Amino acid sequence: MTDAPRTADASVELRPKLVGQRIRRTEDPRLLTGSGRYVDDIALPGMLHVAVRRSDQPHARILSIDVGDAFAIPGVVAIFDARDIAGDIRPAIPTSRMDGYYATPIRPLAQDKVRYTGEPVVAVVAESRYAAEDALDQIAIAYEPLPFAIRQVDAVEPGAPLLHEEAGSNVIIARQFQRGDVDAAIAAAPVTVRRRFRMTRKTPVPMENRSYLADWDKRKRALTLHTSSNIPGIVRDVLADCLDLPGNRLRVVAPDVGGSFGGKGSLNHEEMLVCVLAKKLERPVKFTADRMEDLTAMSQAFDELIDAELAVDAEGRLIGLRADVIGDIGAYSVYPWTGALEPVQVVSFLPGPYRMQHYRGRVRGVLTPKPPTGPYRGVGRPSSTFAMERLIDMAARKLGLDPAEMRRRNLVTAEEFPYRTGSGIIWDKSAFQECLEGACADYPALVKARDAARAEGRWVGIGLASYAELTGIGSRIAVAPGMPINTGTETAAIRIDATGAVTAAFGISSHGQGLETTLAQIVADELGCRFEDVEILHGDSALVPMGTGTYASRSAVLGGGAATKSARVVKTKVLKAAAHLMDVPMEELEAGNGLIRARSSNATMTFKEVARAVYSQMGRIPYDQREDLVAEETYDPYLGTACASTHLAMVEVDRDTFGVTVTHFVVAEDCGRIINPLIVEGQVHGAVAQGIGAALLEEVVHDETGQLLTASLADYLVPVATNMPDIGIVHIEADLPNNLGGFRGMGEGGTIGAPAAIANAISDALSPLGIEIDTLPATPERLFRLVEAAQAGMAQDKPAG
Amino acid sequence: MSARAEITVTVNGIAYTRAVDPRLLLSDFLRQEIGLTGTHVGCEHGVCGACTILLDGRSARSCLLLAVQLDGAAIETVESLGAMDRLGRVQEAFRAHHALQCGFCTPGFLMTITDMLRHHPLESDAEIREALSGNVCRCTGYEHIVNAVRELARERGPLK
Amino acid sequence: MKPARFDYVRAETVAHAGEILAAAGGDGKVLAGGQSLMPMINFRLVKPTVLVDINHIAGLDTIALDGGRLRLGALVRHRMTAEDGLVKAHVPVLHHAMKHVAHLTVRNRGTFCGSVCHADPAAEMPMMTLLLDGLMHTASSRGTRAVAARDFFVGSLVTALEPHEMVTAIEIDALPPGAGWGFEEFARRHGDYALASVAVVLERQGGHARNVRVATMGVGEMPARMDTVEAALEGSAMDDRALDGAVDLLRAAVAPNSDLNASADYRRHLVGALARRALADAWSRATETAQ
Ligand SMILES: Cc1cc2nc3c(=O)[nH]c(=O)nc-3n(C[C@H](O)[C@H](O)[C@H](O)COP(=O)(O)OP(=O)(O)OC[C@H]3O[C@@H](n4cnc5c(N)ncnc54)[C@H](O)[C@@H]3O)c2cc1C
Ligand code: FES
Ligand code: FES
Repeated sequence: MTDAPRTADASVELRPKLVGQRIRRTEDPRLLTGSGRYVDDIALPGMLHVAVRRSDQPHARILSIDVGDAFAIPGVVAIFDARDIAGDIRPAIPTSRMDGYYATPIRPLAQDKVRYTGEPVVAVVAESRYAAEDALDQIAIAYEPLPFAIRQVDAVEPGAPLLHEEAGSNVIIARQFQRGDVDAAIAAAPVTVRRRFRMTRKTPVPMENRSYLADWDKRKRALTLHTSSNIPGIVRDVLADCLDLPGNRLRVVAPDVGGSFGGKGSLNHEEMLVCVLAKKLERPVKFTADRMEDLTAMSQAFDELIDAELAVDAEGRLIGLRADVIGDIGAYSVYPWTGALEPVQVVSFLPGPYRMQHYRGRVRGVLTPKPPTGPYRGVGRPSSTFAMERLIDMAARKLGLDPAEMRRRNLVTAEEFPYRTGSGIIWDKSAFQECLEGACADYPALVKARDAARAEGRWVGIGLASYAELTGIGSRIAVAPGMPINTGTETAAIRIDATGAVTAAFGISSHGQGLETTLAQIVADELGCRFEDVEILHGDSALVPMGTGTYASRSAVLGGGAATKSARVVKTKVLKAAAHLMDVPMEELEAGNGLIRARSSNATMTFKEVARAVYSQMGRIPYDQREDLVAEETYDPYLGTACASTHLAMVEVDRDTFGVTVTHFVVAEDCGRIINPLIVEGQVHGAVAQGIGAALLEEVVHDETGQLLTASLADYLVPVATNMPDIGIVHIEADLPNNLGGFRGMGEGGTIGAPAAIANAISDALSPLGIEIDTLPATPERLFRLVEAAQAGMAQDKPAG
Repeated sequence: MSARAEITVTVNGIAYTRAVDPRLLLSDFLRQEIGLTGTHVGCEHGVCGACTILLDGRSARSCLLLAVQLDGAAIETVESLGAMDRLGRVQEAFRAHHALQCGFCTPGFLMTITDMLRHHPLESDAEIREALSGNVCRCTGYEHIVNAVRELARERGPLK
Repeated sequence: MKPARFDYVRAETVAHAGEILAAAGGDGKVLAGGQSLMPMINFRLVKPTVLVDINHIAGLDTIALDGGRLRLGALVRHRMTAEDGLVKAHVPVLHHAMKHVAHLTVRNRGTFCGSVCHADPAAEMPMMTLLLDGLMHTASSRGTRAVAARDFFVGSLVTALEPHEMVTAIEIDALPPGAGWGFEEFARRHGDYALASVAVVLERQGGHARNVRVATMGVGEMPARMDTVEAALEGSAMDDRALDGAVDLLRAAVAPNSDLNASADYRRHLVGALARRALADAWSRATETAQ
């Protein structure tokens, strides 16, 4: 059942002392002094290193593998290909109940065929990574090249060469959402706008490359995998099946993790590989990807073509939207999210935070010989928001309506919640309109500045993007349709031990979000103990029976909810014991800052004293009333909560170089009750930076022969300090959502709104030329082409109805 | 061929004598030979800055240096800046401004900033951002890092 | 990404370096700042048998003014070039260009001569050497020679340097007092290699431009001097018509490549736009001097 909704301030007797404050992070001292422990920092006695020979072919049959003189290289211990380990591990199958879906099996090493440049084929195990790489140079793989279609538009065609013959088609995902009669609505509408939008392929680029260390304990026949993952629980569950190990003999630990943004949020080939090799060799085995490997083979992102048409009435009110989306999902469906995660969310979220009756969104997910796409910050919504927000501006321009006013007329208003979109998403009450107003506080002044610059002939523009997302989703809605895992619950195991110390263990896995701090704030507030007495444990599959990790802005809502629930149970036990010990009724007691105080007498006891009495000083509490000060509660918000936001960007396009400078950026968002403003602001900045990267710099490029052209950080460009403006953040304090704690998730928003806002700003800047941005990133090269075409009077007006 | 060479390198004030393969990168020497894992490796091609250390007082990429080159040199790493219960000033500022999230890029930033504060004027935000632009952080969006450096540069006073 | 095996020698003197390079028979490499060489070695794109570390050779880390020319030794780091008083006073265009070179940490190690030897088509120092009629002083076990910049750059990452030679110093022109200069560059991010760049120096005599020098980079296999542009502007009044004509000539003279970052068409456009700015800047910075 769902947890009884409570208002956030249910515990009125104990005003929050820590939640809401700019508490310095608990994580920081270790990370600042170089005392963090990332997987690659761990060295075990007898540890071996793996280097992987990867496919240099996009699609080919493996004919033979010749290891040459590799074994003559000092330090080389073993060499494996798929045949050598076939009996040791079952493939992972990213199943789903979707109609017509084909689940591509995931194996540690390519078997028979390779399906993208960079796919692991041969693993060398050696005493050092240097020696292992020496051996790679010796290995010769003979391939029979197979035909392939590298572009999604070709791969969807019926006659296209098949990547997975068993699937019978490259299209392994096809879905449609619809409401009303969009074709009739569009046909009858006074104004329509249409465009084909392209959000190019990205890669998450966490600064720590992936790293995996497997340790086989032959005495216990147990395996420990240290992994740079943000989903250790999911990895444990699937590997238990693949390796035929029960969960109590397979432990998956994510120590400090150097960012993920989704890139470490799926099961990886090499994660499976080190487990098999450690078990076979009975020695610890480590694989640490180098940057080229991560850029080549880590799960990538987005990559959609969105053909969309929007109809509005003469006043600018939205009537209907139809869209056809082709998602390039790469060569495999990832575990557990499947290749549907990204493209299906595009059509789910395309209608945006707007009131609109008619909708039809069709999506096909197509296999291509490229690395699989997986989760990346924002999932689906950066693309859907980009397309929808561009259409809104295009329509506004056609009508001569101000883009802010256009949004004001269409954003769902307070009295309309809960609002069901054309794709079936239900928007819970959130501050849609207020966010727009918040972002536009300086709008008139900025418009004036833009117009003045424009009068001087400069290309300056302003862009808005409004969107809403679902965060902290409970068990009612799966993050991806029909997946084999439950992402909707979270467990917190809290215990006060005999010394009075509080340990709270979770299934989440913090990798930069500061959850050791924010969850301790919640636990301390709820329990009444001291902040410094709380130890948060996470990132370890052994902590709670089931935990899926940290992704999709879920941890504050679900982890916070579970923490609240468990803490309340423990607190009741503490107060019960204290009531007995202090000989006052329980209702008389309150707890705060590590002290339990009787309101009437002002008598106090510390948590430590209560713990001693409960655990060690037998006889102080009658044995039939003695209870361990522990609780393990699971929280399920059932539904999700909405999180609304509007971004405003101002840009200048250099008339000579076509370089874009972001001169002004504002984010207004409603993220519910804020646990720690310092951390929220940091999340917004980081997410906006990734959004600016997606808008202006970042693009994974595979050439026509299937080779990756962006295999170094000098070619895949991520934002550096000089690319970023200062970001204004406006927290909208609207009603708190109806979940435990009143938290909304907010880890992804910036990446969702920024690309759209910047695309709109550039289009505004170039509006004197009639240019509409439809492809991101808006590189100098692309802008040059657009301006050339426009100036040559050749700008083809896309069919605009 | 490529016989091991004996070198003596001073790292954070301690002299280490080791026989090293000439191709051993300084980043691997620090992390694997002498166990100082605070220096991180993010690219091994000189772009990300995670591996930044100080070589004879100036910042350098440890992934672009060979250990064997450093016989007689003095290296400072993040481990020299402070201890968990006694953070150094730059570390303190990072904490106060929430200038780190996952912490992976952080040691490289701290060492670059140490060089910046010792040797560079840092008179404007633009100068600060430029000086930071050789280090990539994927988490913070840089604003909090800039705030921390601005504060440090102000309290440092003018350069000699 | 770990280097393949090699031997390492710390050269004590230029002569010592020459001996080792000669003994390596073409498979040796000079290691200066390592800021370009080491990434290539880490990627195993370069696999030398021996690395000759020149960082400890005494006397190579100076910048000196010598008969109207500036001499930069092989161990002059980018930071030194950027901060050097002589460079600032006598070759302000180079002082300015250095702001665009990489980042603080890379500048601490990378050397002027190393950059020129590396000969990246989008690196500033090769272009500046060409602009300033540089002369590379080389040494090897067979003796010394001096190679003019115009003969030094042979292709992308290819120079006229023999495998057994090293550059000991590079000499460049100091600019006469009153000379004007312009430098324009566009890169996707600060400190990245440029998509294109243009550098100009000239003098102004009697309202006319004299001794005009224009160099480009990023728009071909190697940096280039724009001879036709220089000739056309020599003696011109640097008015709009002259500048427009110069930009057209320049765009016609370059043969840019298309690559990941930009097409040839865009680069051709860009280099023209940058040239217009650089020429105008140079003219406005120049002060009238006697014939
Ligand atoms: C992140 C990053 C960004 C960069 N951005 C830029 C930029 O914007 N602009 C730019 O110009 N450069 C840039 N660079 C390159 C940098 O300037 C290098 O320092 C320079 O190109 C090479 O100088 P070095 O002393 O490091 O030479 P090394 O890397 O040591 O050597 C480079 C090559 O030259 C040879 N060599 C070096 N010195 C000599 C010598 N004296 N005699 C004979 N051969 C020699 C070497 O054998 C090698 O082949 C960047 C580098 C990095 C890592
Ligand atoms: S690891 Fe050295 S710069 Fe990235
Ligand atoms: S804090 Fe994570 S990369 Fe900078």
